[in-house]
Amino acid sequence: MFEGKFYNGRTSKGMPAFIKLEPNYISISWRADDESGNELWHLDQIHTTEFNDNTTVLEYGGFPRQSIAVFEQGFKEALEVKYRGARFIRSKYDSFQKTGVRGLVVGGLSLLVVAVVLFFWGVPALAEKAASHFPVSYERAMGEKLHNQFMHGQKVDSAKTVALQQYLGALNIESDFPIQVTVVKNDMVNAFALPGGFIVVHDAIIDEMENHEELAGLLGHEIGHVQLRHSTKAIARSLSYYMLLSVLFGDVSGIAAVILDNASTFHNLEYSRKAETESDKAGLELLSMNGLNPKGMVWLMERLQTESPEFLKFISTHPNTDDRIKEIERQMKNTSYSSESNPVLEAAWKKLKE
Amino acid sequence: MQETFTEVKTNISEPTLAFKGKGSELFSIQIVNIALMLVTLGLYYPWAKAKNLHYIYRKTELAGSPFTFHGTGKEMFIGFIKGIGILAVLYGVLLYGIFNMTPEDMGIYFICLAIFMVGLSLLVPMALHGMMRYRTSRTSWRGIHMGYRGKLGSMYKVFYLNMFLTMITFGIYGAWFTTNLRKEIIGNMRFGNARFSYTGDGGDLLILHIKGYFLTIVTLGIYSFWWAKDLINFYINNILIEQDGKYSRLDSSLTGWQNLKLTLGNLLIMVFTLGLGYSWVVTRTMHTIIHNCVILGEFNPDMLAQTEEEYKNATFEDMADMLDIGLV
Repeated sequence: MFEGKFYNGRTSKGMPAFIKLEPNYISISWRADDESGNELWHLDQIHTTEFNDNTTVLEYGGFPRQSIAVFEQGFKEALEVKYRGARFIRSKYDSFQKTGVRGLVVGGLSLLVVAVVLFFWGVPALAEKAASHFPVSYERAMGEKLHNQFMHGQKVDSAKTVALQQYLGALNIESDFPIQVTVVKNDMVNAFALPGGFIVVHDAIIDEMENHEELAGLLGHEIGHVQLRHSTKAIARSLSYYMLLSVLFGDVSGIAAVILDNASTFHNLEYSRKAETESDKAGLELLSMNGLNPKGMVWLMERLQTESPEFLKFISTHPNTDDRIKEIERQMKNTSYSSESNPVLEAAWKKLKE
Repeated sequence: MQETFTEVKTNISEPTLAFKGKGSELFSIQIVNIALMLVTLGLYYPWAKAKNLHYIYRKTELAGSPFTFHGTGKEMFIGFIKGIGILAVLYGVLLYGIFNMTPEDMGIYFICLAIFMVGLSLLVPMALHGMMRYRTSRTSWRGIHMGYRGKLGSMYKVFYLNMFLTMITFGIYGAWFTTNLRKEIIGNMRFGNARFSYTGDGGDLLILHIKGYFLTIVTLGIYSFWWAKDLINFYINNILIEQDGKYSRLDSSLTGWQNLKLTLGNLLIMVFTLGLGYSWVVTRTMHTIIHNCVILGEFNPDMLAQTEEEYKNATFEDMADMLDIGLV
């Protein structure tokens, strides 16, 4: 027999009660100031409870629930002995806690490791996989929207655009997307690719070039970005980071999210350097496919050589130019073919340089 | 059977508040939660939340008896899915606008943006209302349920009127927006036959904000902990409880120093455990707030009577989370 309080579900007044554990039910005899009674609780209608408290609380039946609170030590143990395996004493919470401090530390650290692995490899890999299965038409449509938005307010050099398109037409290329090139008037030595095959070339970079092989290398590099779907993958990656963060931290915004967000930025920069290296390789392949001098790729790099100092490598989106040149030269050693002149390309190149 | 009741005293319980939760215990629950959420790609969230709430409620005591949260993961999952559906449609409209606009014709974008904003602002009062109804109905203490009697229409009225006034006063009315919304929400809360009300005045809140703003600038940010403390105390100290015609009120004695220690401590825990220490942040915060909080007056925790009907609808419980409304 245990002493406790009985609550009838109608008022919050605790009635002193004696609680007896019978084989198939719990018997509760309670007495208030002017009334008293006896309740029989059938085991199957007792609600599941948690036991890691000094006070053991049991609830019973439908709304409003009756309940008892027993402050006596030993009640919990008596319940567990008497009703072994009953539904209401099967706690769902403390299973992990039973492992103790060591279990919690090991569990916490392994969770951290899993999170880090997922964060840096698992989720980005999944996101990229998903991105590479985007329908071509969808990517093309997205690129078209971005291209239209970007071109707004830009000065297009129509003559050079036509010439560049002719140059491209004479090249032997491999791409899932129709490639559309546009030359815009801009003093910055730059060119970039949008998803779906839209390539924008600043006229300044063409003015800087001395050989048309450089142009072929540049186009190969940008087509590489398009073909390898780098932009779409990058978008999918950063979206996936946000999704993972919200899963991990639920409604906790704030510090942890900020830390991880910055980590993802650094990781994305590294990713984008990897993407540049891949595209350099694609540029080299295009030169080889068209029998053009692979040196074009090295010359292109030399045009792009900027004054950005070596120590910025870590926070740069592009690998250091010297490193790129070294990598290209390393790959050139593995390929050998005799380059030949291509009159159609050279004619288009002349028009571009006019 | 010989029964003697002579030793059992029928003392009146003191209405003391306590929080008995431990970071390590909460952590042992959350570690399983996070693992399951990762495995289920987040779908486990409602169950995880139910487990969290069960623990937090169970460890919060009034007059020595714990609160109980009765909500289940299943109930909240249904709400969660509905919430995701509604938000997905709204974001879909917004994305449609973004992808279909052209620099020459921004019309479609603005139409979609307007639909998105209107949809969102319709959702906020609905989410608040739904969350209060669900959360209170699932909260009990000694078997007595809390309840929410507010009407959705009246919530909309308070919300939009105050939002309008806040906009035309360039935000100054925001202080009254806050207090009026609390009056609407807390004023409709029941705890058995006890009724809550909120007495905070927007003018007082505005003064707290002005004072906090300028002193924070003057003290290079240090005063912000005292400002935050003032806001917490302003919230708690203005909650009245009426029970059988007698009034009592909550009183918080949280000090700026305590708040500074709490906030900086939480920050350090989060940073140095890479977020894994979040359970300790929760228990520390609950502990500090609740142990500084007392009920002043003649509130009698033994005299609450059951008044609420059974209610089961969790549609907006998670919506409030998704919209990041941290109110209660």
